[in-house]
Amino acid sequence: MLIRSPQDWELPESAATEEKFYHLSKRRDFLKSIGVAGVALAARDLLGATAGFPAKENPAYPASALKPTSYDLITSYNNFYEFGTDKDEPKPNSKKWKPEPWTVEIAGLIRNPVKIDVNDLIGKLGGIEQRVYRMRCVEAWSMVIPWDGFPLSKLVAFADPKPEAKFLKLTTILDPKNLPGQQENILRWPYVEGLHLDEANNELAFIATGIYGKPIPNQNGAPLRLVTPWKYGFKGVKSIAKIEFVAEQPMNTWRVMAPREYGFLANVNPTVDHPRWSQASERIIGGGGLLGARQKTLMFNGYEKQVAALYQGVDLKKFY
Amino acid sequence: MSFLEKLLRSKVFVWILILLPGLWPVWPIFLHPNSSVLADPLKFILHHLGFTACLLLATVLTFTPLRVLFPKWGVAQALNRHRRLVGVSAFAYAALHFATHVIYEGGTDVGTIPSILRTAVGKPFQLIGLLTLAILFLLTITSLTAAIRWLGGKLWKNIHRLAYVAAGLAAYHQAAARKIFPLQVLWIFVPLLLLEVARIIKQRRNAPSPARS
Repeated sequence: MLIRSPQDWELPESAATEEKFYHLSKRRDFLKSIGVAGVALAARDLLGATAGFPAKENPAYPASALKPTSYDLITSYNNFYEFGTDKDEPKPNSKKWKPEPWTVEIAGLIRNPVKIDVNDLIGKLGGIEQRVYRMRCVEAWSMVIPWDGFPLSKLVAFADPKPEAKFLKLTTILDPKNLPGQQENILRWPYVEGLHLDEANNELAFIATGIYGKPIPNQNGAPLRLVTPWKYGFKGVKSIAKIEFVAEQPMNTWRVMAPREYGFLANVNPTVDHPRWSQASERIIGGGGLLGARQKTLMFNGYEKQVAALYQGVDLKKFY
Repeated sequence: MSFLEKLLRSKVFVWILILLPGLWPVWPIFLHPNSSVLADPLKFILHHLGFTACLLLATVLTFTPLRVLFPKWGVAQALNRHRRLVGVSAFAYAALHFATHVIYEGGTDVGTIPSILRTAVGKPFQLIGLLTLAILFLLTITSLTAAIRWLGGKLWKNIHRLAYVAAGLAAYHQAAARKIFPLQVLWIFVPLLLLEVARIIKQRRNAPSPARS
Protein backbone atom coordinates (compact mmCIF):
# COMPACT_ATOMS: atom_id res chain seq x y z
CA MET A 1 0.00 0.00 0.00
CA LEU A 2 1.24 3.41 -0.86
CA ILE A 3 1.02 5.96 1.91
CA ARG A 4 1.79 9.45 0.70
CA SER A 5 3.14 11.82 3.31
CA PRO A 6 2.24 15.37 2.39
CA GLN A 7 5.08 17.60 1.24
CA ASP A 8 5.53 20.98 2.81
CA TRP A 9 4.72 22.84 -0.40
CA GLU A 10 1.38 21.10 -0.74
CA LEU A 11 -1.75 23.22 -0.55
CA PRO A 12 -5.12 22.30 0.98
CA GLU A 13 -8.09 21.65 -1.24
CA SER A 14 -9.59 24.90 0.08
CA ALA A 15 -6.90 26.85 -1.75
CA ALA A 16 -7.65 25.20 -5.06
CA THR A 17 -8.25 27.52 -7.97
CA GLU A 18 -11.83 28.47 -8.62
CA GLU A 19 -13.27 26.86 -11.66
CA LYS A 20 -14.08 30.17 -13.35
CA PHE A 21 -10.39 30.84 -13.69
CA TYR A 22 -9.82 27.62 -15.54
CA HIS A 23 -12.10 28.68 -18.30
CA LEU A 24 -10.63 30.41 -21.27
CA SER A 25 -12.54 32.76 -23.46
CA LYS A 26 -16.04 31.92 -24.54
CA ARG A 27 -14.71 31.81 -28.06
CA ARG A 28 -12.38 28.96 -27.22
CA ASP A 29 -15.10 27.12 -25.34
CA PHE A 30 -17.20 27.41 -28.45
CA LEU A 31 -14.40 26.23 -30.72
CA LYS A 32 -13.77 23.29 -28.45
CA SER A 33 -17.44 22.41 -28.49
CA ILE A 34 -17.40 22.13 -32.28
CA GLY A 35 -14.17 20.17 -32.23
CA VAL A 36 -11.76 22.85 -33.36
CA ALA A 37 -8.90 22.89 -30.90
CA GLY A 38 -5.29 22.09 -30.56
CA VAL A 39 -1.93 23.74 -30.56
CA ALA A 40 -2.04 25.13 -34.08
CA LEU A 41 -5.22 27.06 -33.50
CA ALA A 42 -4.34 28.13 -29.99
CA ALA A 43 -1.07 29.57 -31.21
CA ARG A 44 -2.99 32.00 -33.38
CA ASP A 45 -5.04 33.26 -30.47
CA LEU A 46 -4.47 36.39 -28.42
CA LEU A 47 -1.43 35.33 -26.47
CA GLY A 48 2.00 33.91 -27.15
CA ALA A 49 1.91 30.60 -25.34
CA THR A 50 -1.50 29.06 -25.37
CA ALA A 51 -0.53 25.42 -25.67
CA GLY A 52 -1.58 22.96 -23.03
CA PHE A 53 -4.46 24.81 -21.36
CA PRO A 54 -6.26 24.00 -19.21
CA ALA A 55 -3.26 22.76 -17.23
CA LYS A 56 -3.62 19.89 -14.80
CA GLU A 57 -2.50 20.44 -11.28
CA ASN A 58 0.71 18.58 -10.60
CA PRO A 59 -0.38 15.87 -8.09
CA ALA A 60 2.93 16.38 -6.24
CA TYR A 61 2.00 20.05 -5.79
CA PRO A 62 -1.61 20.12 -4.70
CA ALA A 63 -2.98 22.73 -2.40
CA SER A 64 -1.53 23.78 1.06
CA ALA A 65 -1.99 26.33 3.82
CA LEU A 66 -1.22 29.08 1.30
CA LYS A 67 -3.90 31.50 0.24
CA PRO A 68 -3.55 32.51 -3.40
CA THR A 69 -3.60 36.23 -4.12
CA SER A 70 -6.51 37.30 -6.34
CA TYR A 71 -6.04 37.22 -10.10
CA ASP A 72 -6.90 40.90 -10.22
CA LEU A 73 -4.05 41.90 -7.90
CA ILE A 74 -1.49 39.53 -9.43
CA THR A 75 -2.17 41.10 -12.81
CA SER A 76 -2.38 44.77 -11.71
CA TYR A 77 0.56 45.17 -9.32
CA ASN A 78 3.58 44.52 -11.49
CA ASN A 79 7.26 45.34 -11.70
CA PHE A 80 7.96 45.23 -15.42
CA TYR A 81 10.05 48.32 -16.18
CA GLU A 82 9.86 47.65 -19.92
CA PHE A 83 6.27 48.91 -19.59
CA GLY A 84 6.78 51.62 -16.95
CA THR A 85 8.37 51.93 -13.53
CA ASP A 86 5.16 52.31 -11.51
CA LYS A 87 3.32 49.15 -10.53
CA ASP A 88 0.09 50.27 -12.15
CA GLU A 89 1.74 50.99 -15.52
CA PRO A 90 2.60 47.59 -17.04
CA LYS A 91 -1.04 46.49 -17.31
CA PRO A 92 -2.35 49.40 -19.40
CA ASN A 93 0.93 49.97 -21.23
CA SER A 94 1.24 46.36 -22.41
CA LYS A 95 -2.36 46.00 -23.46
CA LYS A 96 -1.76 46.41 -27.19
CA TRP A 97 1.40 44.32 -27.31
CA LYS A 98 0.99 41.00 -29.16
CA PRO A 99 3.70 38.58 -28.09
CA GLU A 100 2.85 36.10 -30.82
CA PRO A 101 4.05 34.24 -32.69
CA TRP A 102 6.94 33.86 -30.25
CA THR A 103 10.23 32.21 -30.99
CA VAL A 104 12.63 31.41 -28.19
CA GLU A 105 16.29 30.73 -28.86
CA ILE A 106 18.03 28.03 -26.84
CA ALA A 107 21.74 28.40 -27.40
CA GLY A 108 25.26 28.20 -26.02
CA LEU A 109 27.18 25.21 -24.69
CA ILE A 110 24.56 22.60 -25.58
CA ARG A 111 24.15 19.75 -28.01
CA ASN A 112 20.69 20.77 -29.15
CA PRO A 113 20.68 24.47 -30.03
CA VAL A 114 17.32 25.55 -31.49
CA LYS A 115 15.14 28.48 -32.33
CA ILE A 116 11.69 27.18 -31.61
CA ASP A 117 8.12 28.40 -31.49
CA VAL A 118 6.96 28.60 -27.89
CA ASN A 119 3.98 26.29 -28.42
CA ASP A 120 6.14 23.71 -30.18
CA LEU A 121 8.55 23.88 -27.24
CA ILE A 122 5.72 23.30 -24.75
CA GLY A 123 4.60 20.33 -26.85
CA LYS A 124 8.09 18.85 -26.95
CA LEU A 125 8.47 19.22 -23.16
CA GLY A 126 5.24 17.32 -22.53
CA GLY A 127 2.80 20.15 -21.87
CA ILE A 128 2.18 22.23 -18.79
CA GLU A 129 1.13 21.77 -15.17
CA GLN A 130 -0.06 24.04 -12.37
CA ARG A 131 1.84 24.82 -9.17
CA VAL A 132 1.05 27.27 -6.39
CA TYR A 133 4.15 29.13 -5.23
CA ARG A 134 4.92 31.93 -2.83
CA MET A 135 6.48 34.95 -4.49
CA ARG A 136 8.62 37.35 -2.47
CA CYS A 137 9.73 40.65 -3.99
CA VAL A 138 13.02 42.24 -2.92
CA GLU A 139 10.87 45.28 -2.02
CA ALA A 140 9.51 43.32 0.96
CA TRP A 141 6.09 42.34 -0.30
CA SER A 142 4.70 38.94 -1.20
CA MET A 143 1.98 37.16 -3.13
CA VAL A 144 0.88 33.56 -3.62
CA ILE A 145 0.54 32.72 -7.31
CA PRO A 146 -0.93 29.67 -9.06
CA TRP A 147 1.42 29.37 -12.01
CA ASP A 148 1.00 27.22 -15.09
CA GLY A 149 4.09 26.11 -16.97
CA PHE A 150 6.83 23.51 -17.03
CA PRO A 151 9.84 22.68 -14.86
CA LEU A 152 13.00 24.38 -16.09
CA SER A 153 14.84 21.07 -15.66
CA LYS A 154 12.85 19.67 -18.62
CA LEU A 155 14.13 22.48 -20.80
CA VAL A 156 17.68 21.85 -19.58
CA ALA A 157 17.37 18.17 -20.49
CA PHE A 158 15.95 19.12 -23.90
CA ALA A 159 18.88 21.48 -24.54
CA ASP A 160 21.33 18.76 -23.48
CA PRO A 161 24.14 20.87 -21.97
CA LYS A 162 27.79 20.09 -22.55
CA PRO A 163 30.01 19.58 -19.48
CA GLU A 164 31.43 23.12 -19.82
CA ALA A 165 27.99 24.68 -19.28
CA LYS A 166 27.82 25.99 -15.73
CA PHE A 167 25.20 28.75 -15.86
CA LEU A 168 21.99 29.73 -17.61
CA LYS A 169 21.65 33.24 -18.97
CA LEU A 170 18.04 34.22 -19.64
CA THR A 171 17.26 37.35 -21.62
CA THR A 172 14.07 39.35 -22.16
CA ILE A 173 13.13 40.31 -25.71
CA LEU A 174 14.69 43.58 -26.91
CA ASP A 175 11.96 45.47 -28.75
CA PRO A 176 11.95 49.17 -27.83
CA LYS A 177 9.16 49.87 -30.30
CA ASN A 178 6.68 47.70 -28.44
CA LEU A 179 8.27 47.77 -24.98
CA PRO A 180 8.45 51.56 -24.48
CA GLY A 181 10.47 51.40 -21.26
CA GLN A 182 13.39 50.16 -23.36
CA GLN A 183 13.48 53.54 -25.11
CA GLU A 184 14.58 55.08 -21.83
CA ASN A 185 17.89 54.68 -20.13
CA ILE A 186 16.53 53.37 -16.82
CA LEU A 187 18.19 49.93 -16.84
CA ARG A 188 20.65 48.29 -19.18
CA TRP A 189 18.46 46.61 -21.78
CA PRO A 190 17.63 43.89 -22.48
CA TYR A 191 16.95 42.55 -18.98
CA VAL A 192 19.23 39.64 -18.14
CA GLU A 193 19.05 37.11 -15.32
CA GLY A 194 21.02 33.99 -14.57
CA LEU A 195 21.06 30.77 -12.58
CA HIS A 196 23.65 28.16 -11.71
CA LEU A 197 22.95 24.99 -13.69
CA ASP A 198 22.17 23.06 -10.50
CA GLU A 199 19.68 25.78 -9.49
CA ALA A 200 18.03 25.48 -12.89
CA ASN A 201 17.77 21.73 -12.35
CA ASN A 202 16.21 22.11 -8.90
CA GLU A 203 12.66 20.75 -8.81
CA LEU A 204 11.25 24.21 -7.95
CA ALA A 205 12.73 26.15 -10.89
CA PHE A 206 9.85 26.73 -13.27
CA ILE A 207 9.05 28.46 -16.53
CA ALA A 208 5.58 29.98 -16.34
CA THR A 209 3.30 30.22 -19.36
CA GLY A 210 0.14 30.93 -17.40
CA ILE A 211 -1.47 32.22 -14.22
CA TYR A 212 -4.68 30.81 -12.69
CA GLY A 213 -5.11 28.45 -15.61
CA LYS A 214 -5.01 31.19 -18.23
CA PRO A 215 -2.21 32.19 -20.60
CA ILE A 216 0.10 34.54 -18.74
CA PRO A 217 -0.91 38.19 -19.28
CA ASN A 218 1.54 40.54 -20.98
CA GLN A 219 2.19 42.53 -17.79
CA ASN A 220 3.30 39.34 -16.00
CA GLY A 221 5.82 38.42 -18.67
CA ALA A 222 4.09 36.72 -21.60
CA PRO A 223 4.68 34.22 -22.98
CA LEU A 224 7.59 32.74 -20.98
CA ARG A 225 8.72 33.86 -17.57
CA LEU A 226 11.15 32.40 -15.06
CA VAL A 227 9.82 31.50 -11.59
CA THR A 228 12.30 30.69 -8.80
CA PRO A 229 10.19 30.94 -5.64
CA TRP A 230 13.11 30.73 -3.20
CA LYS A 231 14.68 33.82 -4.76
CA TYR A 232 13.59 37.45 -4.87
CA GLY A 233 11.14 38.27 -7.63
CA PHE A 234 13.61 40.21 -9.77
CA LYS A 235 15.22 36.88 -10.71
CA GLY A 236 11.99 36.09 -12.56
CA VAL A 237 12.98 37.43 -15.96
CA LYS A 238 9.92 38.08 -18.12
CA SER A 239 9.11 37.63 -21.80
CA ILE A 240 12.14 35.43 -22.37
CA ALA A 241 13.55 35.51 -25.91
CA LYS A 242 16.82 33.70 -25.32
CA ILE A 243 18.14 31.03 -22.96
CA GLU A 244 21.87 30.60 -23.22
CA PHE A 245 24.05 28.01 -21.51
CA VAL A 246 27.36 29.60 -20.55
CA ALA A 247 30.56 28.83 -18.65
CA GLU A 248 30.86 32.12 -16.75
CA GLN A 249 28.40 33.68 -14.33
CA PRO A 250 26.30 36.16 -16.32
CA MET A 251 25.93 39.73 -15.07
CA ASN A 252 22.30 40.17 -14.08
CA THR A 253 20.59 43.51 -14.73
CA TRP A 254 19.93 44.70 -11.18
CA ARG A 255 23.44 43.77 -10.17
CA VAL A 256 24.76 45.98 -12.96
CA MET A 257 22.54 48.77 -11.67
CA ALA A 258 23.38 48.53 -7.94
CA PRO A 259 25.84 45.75 -7.03
CA ARG A 260 25.76 46.59 -3.32
CA GLU A 261 22.01 46.12 -3.20
CA TYR A 262 21.28 43.22 -5.55
CA GLY A 263 23.35 40.08 -5.86
CA PHE A 264 23.46 37.15 -8.26
CA LEU A 265 21.98 34.52 -5.93
CA ALA A 266 19.25 36.85 -4.60
CA ASN A 267 17.97 34.13 -2.26
CA VAL A 268 15.15 35.20 0.03
CA ASN A 269 16.85 35.59 3.40
CA PRO A 270 15.25 37.31 6.41
CA THR A 271 18.64 37.67 8.12
CA VAL A 272 20.33 39.66 5.34
CA ASP A 273 18.83 43.12 4.98
CA HIS A 274 18.69 45.24 1.89
CA PRO A 275 20.87 48.32 2.57
CA ARG A 276 17.78 50.54 2.64
CA TRP A 277 15.20 48.32 4.29
CA SER A 278 14.75 45.22 6.43
CA GLN A 279 14.05 41.85 4.83
CA ALA A 280 12.90 40.25 8.11
CA SER A 281 9.23 40.57 7.23
CA GLU A 282 7.01 41.35 4.26
CA ARG A 283 3.74 43.05 3.37
CA ILE A 284 1.05 40.68 2.11
CA ILE A 285 -0.42 41.95 -1.14
CA GLY A 286 -4.18 42.00 -0.74
CA GLY A 287 -3.65 41.64 3.00
CA GLY A 288 -7.04 43.21 3.60
CA GLY A 289 -8.44 46.43 4.97
CA LEU A 290 -6.83 49.82 4.93
CA LEU A 291 -3.92 48.80 7.16
CA GLY A 292 -3.14 45.58 5.31
CA ALA A 293 -1.03 42.84 6.85
CA ARG A 294 2.55 41.79 7.33
CA GLN A 295 4.15 38.40 7.95
CA LYS A 296 7.59 37.13 8.87
CA THR A 297 9.76 36.28 5.90
CA LEU A 298 10.87 32.64 5.80
CA MET A 299 14.37 31.44 4.94
CA PHE A 300 14.45 30.67 1.20
CA ASN A 301 10.86 31.94 1.23
CA GLY A 302 9.73 28.73 2.93
CA TYR A 303 11.48 26.39 0.46
CA GLU A 304 14.45 25.53 2.65
CA LYS A 305 13.94 21.76 2.33
CA GLN A 306 14.08 21.85 -1.46
CA VAL A 307 16.99 24.23 -1.95
CA ALA A 308 19.15 24.51 1.18
CA ALA A 309 21.44 21.73 -0.10
CA LEU A 310 22.38 23.92 -3.07
CA TYR A 311 24.06 26.44 -0.79
CA GLN A 312 25.92 24.30 1.72
CA GLY A 313 29.14 26.07 2.66
CA VAL A 314 28.11 29.25 0.85
CA ASP A 315 28.34 32.47 2.88
CA LEU A 316 24.87 33.86 2.18
CA LYS A 317 25.71 37.19 3.80
CA LYS A 318 28.52 37.69 1.30
CA PHE A 319 26.71 36.16 -1.66
CA TYR A 320 23.35 37.89 -1.21
CA MET B 1 -4.68 93.53 -6.97
CA SER B 2 -4.95 90.54 -9.27
CA PHE B 3 -7.46 87.78 -8.70
CA LEU B 4 -4.68 85.27 -8.06
CA GLU B 5 -3.12 87.56 -5.52
CA LYS B 6 -6.42 88.05 -3.73
CA LEU B 7 -6.97 84.31 -3.69
CA LEU B 8 -3.50 83.57 -2.37
CA ARG B 9 -3.84 86.17 0.39
CA SER B 10 -6.80 84.23 1.76
CA LYS B 11 -5.90 81.92 4.65
CA VAL B 12 -8.94 79.76 3.96
CA PHE B 13 -7.82 79.17 0.39
CA VAL B 14 -4.30 78.21 1.50
CA TRP B 15 -5.70 75.87 4.14
CA ILE B 16 -7.74 74.14 1.43
CA LEU B 17 -4.66 73.84 -0.79
CA ILE B 18 -2.78 72.24 2.09
CA LEU B 19 -5.52 69.83 3.17
CA LEU B 20 -6.55 68.60 -0.28
CA PRO B 21 -3.46 66.46 -0.96
CA GLY B 22 -4.02 64.73 2.37
CA LEU B 23 -7.49 63.70 1.21
CA TRP B 24 -6.34 62.55 -2.23
CA PRO B 25 -5.83 58.84 -1.30
CA VAL B 26 -9.59 58.60 -0.68
CA TRP B 27 -10.02 58.70 -4.46
CA PRO B 28 -8.04 55.59 -5.55
CA ILE B 29 -8.91 53.67 -2.38
CA PHE B 30 -12.63 54.33 -1.94
CA LEU B 31 -14.19 56.47 -4.66
CA HIS B 32 -12.53 55.04 -7.74
CA PRO B 33 -10.81 51.85 -6.51
CA ASN B 34 -7.58 51.09 -8.31
CA SER B 35 -6.28 47.52 -8.04
CA SER B 36 -2.63 48.48 -7.86
CA VAL B 37 -3.41 50.83 -4.96
CA LEU B 38 -5.67 48.30 -3.23
CA ALA B 39 -2.84 45.75 -3.40
CA ASP B 40 -1.42 47.58 -0.38
CA PRO B 41 -3.36 50.79 0.35
CA LEU B 42 -1.18 51.76 3.31
CA LYS B 43 1.90 51.76 1.09
CA PHE B 44 0.17 54.18 -1.24
CA ILE B 45 -0.76 56.41 1.71
CA LEU B 46 2.79 56.20 3.09
CA HIS B 47 4.36 57.32 -0.18
CA HIS B 48 1.72 59.93 -0.82
CA LEU B 49 2.22 61.59 2.59
CA GLY B 50 5.99 61.69 2.11
CA PHE B 51 5.56 63.11 -1.38
CA THR B 52 3.25 65.83 -0.08
CA ALA B 53 5.67 66.73 2.72
CA CYS B 54 8.50 67.12 0.18
CA LEU B 55 6.29 69.20 -2.08
CA LEU B 56 5.21 71.56 0.73
CA LEU B 57 8.76 71.91 2.05
CA ALA B 58 10.10 72.80 -1.41
CA THR B 59 7.14 75.15 -1.95
CA VAL B 60 7.54 77.14 1.25
CA LEU B 61 11.24 77.62 0.56
CA THR B 62 10.48 79.26 -2.77
CA PHE B 63 8.55 82.08 -1.05
CA THR B 64 11.56 84.10 0.12
CA PRO B 65 13.55 83.92 -3.15
CA LEU B 66 10.40 84.82 -5.07
CA ARG B 67 9.99 87.96 -2.95
CA VAL B 68 13.67 88.88 -3.26
CA LEU B 69 13.65 88.37 -7.03
CA PHE B 70 10.28 90.01 -7.66
CA PRO B 71 9.75 92.45 -4.75
CA LYS B 72 6.86 94.24 -6.43
CA TRP B 73 4.98 91.12 -7.48
CA GLY B 74 1.78 90.89 -5.44
CA VAL B 75 1.63 87.08 -5.66
CA ALA B 76 5.07 86.77 -4.04
CA GLN B 77 3.95 89.13 -1.28
CA ALA B 78 0.74 87.15 -0.77
CA LEU B 79 2.63 83.88 -0.53
CA ASN B 80 4.97 85.25 2.10
CA ARG B 81 2.03 85.83 4.44
CA HIS B 82 1.72 82.04 4.74
CA ARG B 83 5.28 80.96 5.37
CA ARG B 84 4.60 79.65 8.86
CA LEU B 85 1.39 77.87 7.91
CA VAL B 86 2.92 76.09 4.90
CA GLY B 87 6.14 75.29 6.77
CA VAL B 88 4.28 73.77 9.71
CA SER B 89 2.07 71.79 7.31
CA ALA B 90 5.20 70.27 5.75
CA PHE B 91 6.12 69.07 9.25
CA ALA B 92 2.59 67.78 9.83
CA TYR B 93 2.70 65.69 6.64
CA ALA B 94 6.20 64.44 7.46
CA ALA B 95 5.01 63.42 10.95
CA LEU B 96 1.99 61.60 9.46
CA HIS B 97 4.32 59.93 6.95
CA PHE B 98 6.50 58.67 9.81
CA ALA B 99 3.51 57.53 11.86
CA THR B 100 2.26 55.65 8.79
CA HIS B 101 5.70 54.05 8.39
CA VAL B 102 5.49 52.79 11.99
CA ILE B 103 2.06 51.26 11.34
CA TYR B 104 3.19 49.94 7.94
CA GLU B 105 6.10 48.13 9.58
CA GLY B 106 4.60 47.08 12.89
CA GLY B 107 0.82 47.31 12.59
CA THR B 108 -0.96 48.63 15.65
CA ASP B 109 1.32 46.75 18.07
CA VAL B 110 3.19 49.44 20.03
CA GLY B 111 5.74 46.84 21.15
CA THR B 112 7.30 46.80 17.66
CA ILE B 113 8.27 50.50 17.76
CA PRO B 114 11.73 50.04 19.36
CA SER B 115 12.79 47.55 16.68
CA ILE B 116 11.39 49.78 13.92
CA LEU B 117 13.46 52.68 15.27
CA ARG B 118 16.54 50.49 15.56
CA THR B 119 16.18 49.48 11.91
CA ALA B 120 15.64 53.13 10.92
CA VAL B 121 18.76 54.33 12.72
CA GLY B 122 20.86 51.59 11.12
CA LYS B 123 19.97 52.46 7.52
CA PRO B 124 21.15 55.76 6.01
CA PHE B 125 18.05 56.06 3.84
CA GLN B 126 15.70 55.81 6.83
CA LEU B 127 17.97 57.71 9.24
CA ILE B 128 18.05 60.68 6.89
CA GLY B 129 14.27 60.66 6.79
CA LEU B 130 14.25 60.76 10.59
CA LEU B 131 16.77 63.63 10.65
CA THR B 132 14.61 65.59 8.23
CA LEU B 133 11.64 65.06 10.49
CA ALA B 134 13.69 66.15 13.54
CA ILE B 135 14.70 69.40 11.81
CA LEU B 136 11.12 70.11 10.75
CA PHE B 137 10.00 69.44 14.33
CA LEU B 138 12.58 71.91 15.66
CA LEU B 139 11.45 74.53 13.15
CA THR B 140 7.83 73.94 14.08
CA ILE B 141 8.24 74.39 17.83
CA THR B 142 10.37 77.50 17.28
CA SER B 143 7.83 79.00 14.91
CA LEU B 144 5.66 80.28 17.75
CA THR B 145 5.87 84.04 18.18
CA ALA B 146 6.99 83.57 21.78
CA ALA B 147 9.88 81.37 20.64
CA ILE B 148 10.99 84.00 18.14
CA ARG B 149 11.05 86.61 20.90
CA TRP B 150 12.83 84.30 23.31
CA LEU B 151 15.55 83.24 20.84
CA GLY B 152 16.09 86.66 19.35
CA GLY B 153 15.86 87.42 15.65
CA LYS B 154 19.38 86.49 14.69
CA LEU B 155 19.59 83.10 16.42
CA TRP B 156 16.07 82.31 15.23
CA LYS B 157 17.03 83.10 11.65
CA ASN B 158 20.09 80.88 11.84
CA ILE B 159 18.07 78.01 13.28
CA HIS B 160 15.52 78.40 10.53
CA ARG B 161 18.22 78.20 7.86
CA LEU B 162 18.19 74.49 8.77
CA ALA B 163 15.14 74.33 6.51
CA TYR B 164 17.57 74.26 3.56
CA VAL B 165 19.41 71.32 5.12
CA ALA B 166 16.04 69.61 5.58
CA ALA B 167 15.22 70.16 1.90
CA GLY B 168 18.52 68.57 0.82
CA LEU B 169 17.97 65.59 3.13
CA ALA B 170 14.36 65.23 2.00
CA ALA B 171 15.44 65.17 -1.66
CA TYR B 172 17.92 62.38 -0.90
CA HIS B 173 15.36 60.45 1.14
CA GLN B 174 12.76 60.71 -1.60
CA ALA B 175 15.22 59.66 -4.30
CA ALA B 176 16.37 56.64 -2.26
CA ALA B 177 12.82 55.48 -1.64
CA ARG B 178 12.68 53.91 -5.09
CA LYS B 179 14.84 51.31 -6.80
CA ILE B 180 15.67 53.72 -9.59
CA PHE B 181 15.97 57.51 -9.40
CA PRO B 182 12.45 58.97 -9.48
CA LEU B 183 12.12 62.02 -11.73
CA GLN B 184 9.58 63.63 -9.40
CA VAL B 185 12.49 64.56 -7.11
CA LEU B 186 13.78 66.79 -9.91
CA TRP B 187 10.55 68.61 -10.63
CA ILE B 188 9.99 69.19 -6.93
CA PHE B 189 13.44 70.41 -5.94
CA VAL B 190 15.12 71.78 -9.10
CA PRO B 191 12.88 74.89 -9.36
CA LEU B 192 13.77 75.67 -5.74
CA LEU B 193 17.46 75.26 -6.52
CA LEU B 194 17.25 77.58 -9.53
CA LEU B 195 15.39 80.24 -7.55
CA GLU B 196 17.94 80.07 -4.75
CA VAL B 197 20.83 80.44 -7.19
CA ALA B 198 19.14 83.46 -8.83
CA ARG B 199 18.46 84.97 -5.42
CA ILE B 200 22.06 84.58 -4.25
CA ILE B 201 23.36 86.16 -7.46
CA LYS B 202 20.98 89.11 -7.05
CA GLN B 203 21.84 89.61 -3.36
CA ARG B 204 25.59 89.45 -4.07
CA ARG B 205 25.21 92.10 -6.75
CA ASN B 206 23.23 94.41 -4.51
CA ALA B 207 25.32 93.89 -1.39
CA PRO B 208 27.87 96.57 -0.45
CA SER B 209 31.43 95.58 -1.25
CA PRO B 210 33.15 93.73 1.62
CA ALA B 211 35.86 96.43 1.93
CA ARG B 212 33.33 98.97 3.13
CA SER B 213 31.46 96.75 5.55
